[in-house]
Amino acid sequence: MQAGLILEVSDVTKRFGGVTAVNRCSLSLTPGKIYGLIGPNGSGKTTLFNCITGLERRDQGEVRFKGERIDGLKPYQVARRGIGRTFQIIRIFPELTALENLLVVTQGPFEAARRRAEELLRFVTLDRLRNEYAGNLSYGQQKLLEFVRVLMTDPELILLDEPAAGVNPTLLNELLAAITQLRDQGKTILIVEHDMKVVMGLCETVFVLDYGEKIAEGPPGVIQTDERVIEAYFGR
Amino acid sequence: MKRGFVAALVVAFVGLALYPTVATGYGIRFMLQLFMWVALAQSWNLISGLTGYVSFGHVAFFGTGAYAAGILVTTHGWHWGPASLVGGVAAVTLALIIGYPCLRLKGPYFAISMLGLNEVMRVLVSYFEGLTGGGSGLSFPAQPVSVQIYYAMALSALAVTGAAYFIITSRFGLRFMTIREDEVAAEAMGIDTARYKLYAFLLSAFVPGVVGGLSARDTGYIEPISVFPLIITITMIVMALFGGKGTIWGPVLGAATLFVFQELVWARFIYLHQFLFGAIIVVVVLLMPRGILGILQQRYHLPRTI
Repeated sequence: MQAGLILEVSDVTKRFGGVTAVNRCSLSLTPGKIYGLIGPNGSGKTTLFNCITGLERRDQGEVRFKGERIDGLKPYQVARRGIGRTFQIIRIFPELTALENLLVVTQGPFEAARRRAEELLRFVTLDRLRNEYAGNLSYGQQKLLEFVRVLMTDPELILLDEPAAGVNPTLLNELLAAITQLRDQGKTILIVEHDMKVVMGLCETVFVLDYGEKIAEGPPGVIQTDERVIEAYFGR
Repeated sequence: MKRGFVAALVVAFVGLALYPTVATGYGIRFMLQLFMWVALAQSWNLISGLTGYVSFGHVAFFGTGAYAAGILVTTHGWHWGPASLVGGVAAVTLALIIGYPCLRLKGPYFAISMLGLNEVMRVLVSYFEGLTGGGSGLSFPAQPVSVQIYYAMALSALAVTGAAYFIITSRFGLRFMTIREDEVAAEAMGIDTARYKLYAFLLSAFVPGVVGGLSARDTGYIEPISVFPLIITITMIVMALFGGKGTIWGPVLGAATLFVFQELVWARFIYLHQFLFGAIIVVVVLLMPRGILGILQQRYHLPRTI
């Protein structure tokens, strides 16, 4: 184990029947940076997220968070350690109000949680809709709500699964600014994203998956010209 | 609006507390059964309305409570009050044993496992004749205690509705609803869903057990088919659905409305009430899956407390 890493994925493999969704994948994340995880559809990005957060049990390999093994923990235990995530398909609690969506995931003193929730709702301009059922919000609003819900638990590592998908350009800029701001506060962020402009503009290091294997890793500029990456996306 | 609602509650509460002083024997027995259905529908609401784990075997807890209390009263000479409380504890114990494996199942699989539990309990009770009297059942002392049972039933209905109120209005309780809303997201956000499901399940088992004991004492006689029938489960589900599952007052409203309705129809047309009951299930599921209160809440933006 390398010192100073916040997340270390070593040789993780996940199979579904005969399909190897993630194949001996290794990632090392140092704190306070924004990382990208890209790859064609079905390359194993979300499965890798699930192996990190405990939603899927990896078949082989290790996942360490701040030096401690977290593979084998239940999802809620992983979350309590300080890893938050959003989902590719929005997973809010539709029949809870916007405010309740944020409050329900908190553990500590209630009043502090309430203040934090109000603050975050203002931050994404949903404060007017605090008592509206989350299911009645628009797609973009739900996306923002899910994003701030992750922040309620104050995680050190945040995994975002396609945060930009379906978000309009104005909202997107705010979202990207918010992500950068989180990084500046010392959070580590790992983003799965198909929008290359987002990945290239935001991430300091990008990992590329193809058929479950990590085929490249490096700064965005280098990745863009990597032959294996180009091949994975466009074919030979 | 809110104050009017609270005032109405207070009036109803006082009225019901004084009712036995003026009521006929029939009136008291009618009301105590109504309370029983409120308690049962509300208990079902705790697990199925709030966490979305639909139980098709909740009568198993009712029957278990009835038998636990019945054995204590008839063979050990207990008073029906403490015996019914032990009935509740017996139901919770059963829920603890069965909940651990069954709550891992999802959707229809959980529902069916609960249906199976009820069948198993009925057969077990029939089989252990020495303890339960088997098919010939258990007979309680003859002197009527309807007025006391009336208050005990009212207290049971109040207790479980109070639990629903606390759950639906607190952060602790909102966690139950995240299981219904999106279990995976709840887990990923640090909520120990397995633990909360079990809490809801245990809570939902206690009062049916107590009420089972009370009802057994009031009826005076129990046998396996009388306390483990599927129709009791179905009735509590329909009542909760009709009033509005997942709400505080829905199961109360549903139980009261349908029980009065059932009594009115049943008194006149013996078979028609079963037909109408079936028809209500179809109409509710097709046209108003949220129930009366669910629709009102959605349309008029009422707070959860109403």
